[in-house]
Amino acid sequence: MDQIITAVVAVVGVPLVIFGYIIGGEQVIERLPGRLQGWARPYFWALPAVGFATIFMVYPMVRTAVISFRNSEDTDWVGFANYHYFFTFPDTLTALRNSVAWLIFYTFFAVFLGLVIAILVDRVRYESLAKIAIFLPVPISAVAASIIWKFMFDYQAPGTPQTGTLNAVLGIFHGDPVPWLLDEPVVNNGALIFVGIWTAVGFCMVIISASLKAISTEVLEAARIDGANEFQIVRLVITPLLWPTITVVGTTMLINALKTFDIVYVMTNGAYETDVIATRMFSQLQSAHYGRAAAVGVVLFIAIVPLLIVNIRRFQQQEEQR
Amino acid sequence: MAEVFGRLSSKAIALGLGTLFLVAACGGGNNGTSGSSASSTDVTVWTAWGGAELKAFKDVLAPFQSKTGIKVHITTNRDSTNQIANGIAAGTDLPDIAPGPTDPTQVKSWVSKGALKSIETALGSSFNDYISNTYAALTTAPGGATDDPYIGIIGGKHYELMVKTQVKGLIWYNKKVFTGQAPATFDDLLAINPSQYNAKSLFCAGFESGAASGWPASDQIDNIIMRQSGDQVYTSWVQGKTKFTDPAIKLGYQTFLKEVSDQAVYGGRNTALSTNFGKAGDPLFKQPAGCLFLEQATFITSFFQQDFPSLNLKAGTDFDFFAHPSVNSQFDGNVNGFYDNFSMYNDTPAARQLMQYMATKDAQQIWANDGGTLGAIKSLTYNDPVFKRAADVASGAKNLLVTAGDFMPADMQKAFWQSLLNVTRNPGSLNSELSHLDQVQAAAYTTS
Repeated sequence: MDQIITAVVAVVGVPLVIFGYIIGGEQVIERLPGRLQGWARPYFWALPAVGFATIFMVYPMVRTAVISFRNSEDTDWVGFANYHYFFTFPDTLTALRNSVAWLIFYTFFAVFLGLVIAILVDRVRYESLAKIAIFLPVPISAVAASIIWKFMFDYQAPGTPQTGTLNAVLGIFHGDPVPWLLDEPVVNNGALIFVGIWTAVGFCMVIISASLKAISTEVLEAARIDGANEFQIVRLVITPLLWPTITVVGTTMLINALKTFDIVYVMTNGAYETDVIATRMFSQLQSAHYGRAAAVGVVLFIAIVPLLIVNIRRFQQQEEQR
Repeated sequence: MAEVFGRLSSKAIALGLGTLFLVAACGGGNNGTSGSSASSTDVTVWTAWGGAELKAFKDVLAPFQSKTGIKVHITTNRDSTNQIANGIAAGTDLPDIAPGPTDPTQVKSWVSKGALKSIETALGSSFNDYISNTYAALTTAPGGATDDPYIGIIGGKHYELMVKTQVKGLIWYNKKVFTGQAPATFDDLLAINPSQYNAKSLFCAGFESGAASGWPASDQIDNIIMRQSGDQVYTSWVQGKTKFTDPAIKLGYQTFLKEVSDQAVYGGRNTALSTNFGKAGDPLFKQPAGCLFLEQATFITSFFQQDFPSLNLKAGTDFDFFAHPSVNSQFDGNVNGFYDNFSMYNDTPAARQLMQYMATKDAQQIWANDGGTLGAIKSLTYNDPVFKRAADVASGAKNLLVTAGDFMPADMQKAFWQSLLNVTRNPGSLNSELSHLDQVQAAAYTTS
């Protein structure tokens, strides 16, 4: 019953309050002297949005930072103990190492392959078909993608039929099955990063391809007339023109790499040295070490901020260019 | 006024709509966890059960609902502990009845915060019947201690109502393949030559279980340690008071490694690590048999039957189990088991009535009839020969000891499970794994 009441209040009451705020506020503002009116109105209109952002984004952020300096019961200050734990404990160090690997390889290959594919499909007649094929993994949730790849990486006892696609292929060449998700630390982390790349390449390709279409054909023709071959055109004309887009896509991928959680959680849950920062944060949360989890969150946040700044600057530059 | 409405830009409308959705979403979220208005006609229950287990629970509840007219609202929630923890921290509504927490510190903290209501309160006059009917190992702290958070006892009061139980550490075999006598000791078990029974290897194992990979291995080592070094060492180790580098625990790891050596385990170590626990028993029923034995709890029988529908496998005639063989005869009464429990989070008349009902033999007999589990009450009857014998194992238990990992802090549990995967993969890393586990233990059991 109270659920119905809540629903009615939400559907009818909230818009009424908002309209009341707007209409009532406007009536007050209209009675103000002219200059004050112009000054007050923007603040008045922005207040609800700023208020919501403060409650739902700024407050949790500040609170997380505060919790990171407190014990897990939130009863006492512990100084930098949670950060000390993060930067000295062997498990988190492994996680840091893996996250760096994700940052480098995931970002590089996702963007690089996205760029290469975007340029290649631009030159074929079946472009949209090829793009769809590459883009298909993007809408699949990371959890589903991980489960798909778990089947692909499956390992059965040597000498028995291999149900995993990769080991079945190896079997054709009489190779022994490889325990893809067990061989630490290169093969299994590589396998996980590969799954990440598989889900991301399509996204990079689509964005880069869109900006590739914006390059006018005259520029390319001019380069050809000047005697440039296709490799030179890609290297000296297309890539520099695409650079702002590549930066935006690249920083987005860097942020994705830092946030990586679902693929690792579903496929190995960090076993065999595959933990990353976010899975460490999760396991600290699960064991009610809120302080340590918050410290991980803050570190992650600080690592992401510069990327966000770069990204926003790039967006602004692009806006200005238009 | 018209001017004002004219100024209502699309942004303002968007803002209004956004707020609407936000509030609706928040309201919806709250409603999902609410429903506790000291009702005498409605009770909300969270459970982790789905599928056949959920169906059995509904069967149990059916007579209660028709007799009392109380409506039970069941939600299957596999994350209930986290959500209740958040609910307690945030002061939002809790379900009336849900499983109690497994983490001992959480049990204590929830009791001190008053979130958990005692079973004494819930059952009232029928409490004494509950205690005398239920397996003693589930309701009595060893040595008369007043605190045993592992079975929900704090300050001499009970906070978890036991409804179902299972025994673990059973050794399953295909009756057509293994025709010998059940070995008396663990060494006898290891000495069995699989080729004598035309099987490829002694044991099957499957340690893969998604994010929880490693728990089947932890069951195996739990059963070794409790029978090798006793319940006191075992419990103190679960509590984080005995280190992993302690000789008793190290010996447990070394004994475990004998079960999973490349020679002993089907397909070698990598196969054991890559195989899902549900599929681990499949080689038992292959021709020729891949292995002789699989160590697992009672629930595994449904996997056997599900994986070989054409063989129409029957418990007792096609496959059977023997209890875990003795490791050190001094500790033979130690049995590894787990239980399903309910705690009361809101003391309402309806919740009390439901708790009282679930403690009755009539209710638990329905669970037993639906199969797949033991009840918590000693005197139930079982149609399934497997559970008939498992009930013997449970009543023969001097101490029903809980599964170690489930009662460790989550990061300790994860490290413990993964250490078993790591030593299985690389037995030479045992010492470094154990000292790493000591580090995790030191960090995990503190509250800082």
